[in-house]
Amino acid sequence: MIKINGLTKSFGKNEILKNINMQFSRGAIYGIVGENGAGKTTLFRCIAGLESYNGEIVSDLIPLKNNLGLLLTEPFFFSKITGKEYIRLLCNARGKSELEIENKNIFDLPLNQYASTYSTGMKKKLAITAILLQENEYFILDEPFNGVDIHSNIILSEIILKLKELKKVVLISSHVFSTLNDICDEIHLLRKGEPIKSVLKTEFKSLEHEMKAVTIGNRIEKLNFR
Amino acid sequence: MKDYFILQLTMANRKMKEARMNPAVCYFLMLVLFILFGEYIFQKTAFAKYLVIFTCMSLQIQLSEKNRTEFLLSTFGDKTKNKLRIIENLIICIPFCIILIYKNQFLEASILLLVSIVFAFLKLQDVLNITLSTPFSKNLFEFSVGFRKTFFIFPIAYTLTIIAIKVDNLNLGIFSFLLIFLTTMGFYSKPENEYYVWIYKSNAMQFLKNKLLSASKNVTLLVSPIIITLLLYFTSEFQLVLIFFIAGMLFQWTIILAKYSVYPQEMNLIEGIIIALSFYFPPLLLAIIPFFYKKSIKKLKVILND
Repeated sequence: MIKINGLTKSFGKNEILKNINMQFSRGAIYGIVGENGAGKTTLFRCIAGLESYNGEIVSDLIPLKNNLGLLLTEPFFFSKITGKEYIRLLCNARGKSELEIENKNIFDLPLNQYASTYSTGMKKKLAITAILLQENEYFILDEPFNGVDIHSNIILSEIILKLKELKKVVLISSHVFSTLNDICDEIHLLRKGEPIKSVLKTEFKSLEHEMKAVTIGNRIEKLNFR
Repeated sequence: MKDYFILQLTMANRKMKEARMNPAVCYFLMLVLFILFGEYIFQKTAFAKYLVIFTCMSLQIQLSEKNRTEFLLSTFGDKTKNKLRIIENLIICIPFCIILIYKNQFLEASILLLVSIVFAFLKLQDVLNITLSTPFSKNLFEFSVGFRKTFFIFPIAYTLTIIAIKVDNLNLGIFSFLLIFLTTMGFYSKPENEYYVWIYKSNAMQFLKNKLLSASKNVTLLVSPIIITLLLYFTSEFQLVLIFFIAGMLFQWTIILAKYSVYPQEMNLIEGIIIALSFYFPPLLLAIIPFFYKKSIKKLKVILND
């Protein structure tokens, strides 16, 4: 369980997150949606302890960060580190040393090549593999489906559902609503750093329509297509 | 082209201001330190000219990085990019050439000038996309990444050791393993992305201990062929070899601790001055190491939620 109470975050005078109150239970998948700049990534960074904040974040396992698998939107790789070394580094950092990396290479990545030579999708798959092998209890996946091919997206969706079955806490952000629609149990909508609403699976369709209406507005008419 | 250099200057000034330093004072201090350090190494070692050339070329090589070169090429076109790169390399090489000329090393100064121009046309490809095996793959990232970037230094250092034995010159032998220490210190000169610190389960003290132990083990592995050879051939001067080895190790620790003392920021002039002072008067390390250690613990505690 992760519980956020009255979280606010500012950069200078600019308030990025305003009074966030959310609870994430084990065995459930949570989607965080919002436009670019809504504060999704900052919220994730606060939960991970990568940003200071006002308010409170509590979890059933302490410290939270040592049990958290964090997938960043654009994972960073050193220029001369191989896929296998990257996975080993992340796992060793969490005290996991008995690894069967080759057997667990579910995305068939060329693990003996430098990670910097991978395509965007392969990099993401490598980062996902590493945090899965860390055997975390909480997962934050910031845009996990971006840049990943359709076959791997299917595998990834199944993995996320398996994590739910294993009673892990999973938080996902995505710009593709349909993927969240399929796997999430609850979606939180953020707008300009404020939690606008939280909806359960039965209301996802209406949320999607509402988001469409707000986002599109009269923008298309403005183009005056002929 | 003028705008490009103004932008470079603005960016450099911005970095200094971010470190709460006045750029004019910084440039002045850098000049003074450069002169003092140049004078110092020429007093202390016969291999100072090689050290000057090596330092200058290392700085220039960093500017030939593939992505940077491609960015300049796509933005300015082939001709202007080449001009820009030549001017950049000349700006770097001029102070080094002045030192060499001042020390009557005219041939070396001319060679450095020529090499600087040739380097401007260099694009450091990932030739080297072929994965180089290293003995450090199971350790932390610094040595496996650093070794692959600087692998050519190690055969040079080992060759220098063989030459040192042949010409019966202990100083050259000592220089050969100090060259390795200098290279491995470079592995820790830039702060890594904070994700690579955040991932650790350990507390700040364990984290630093792990970094220091791993660096000590790896650098010992690299210098041990030289140390053993020197101890065998210059048995009577084993104390000198061991003193330089210990000094090298202490400087290695200092650089690691200096990096984390300002983490996630980059080391700036203040750390540079402190390190330069310790090079000038090594006993200062006894105070500097605990100083950087305490500061590092403070910085790391935040990221490691310790």
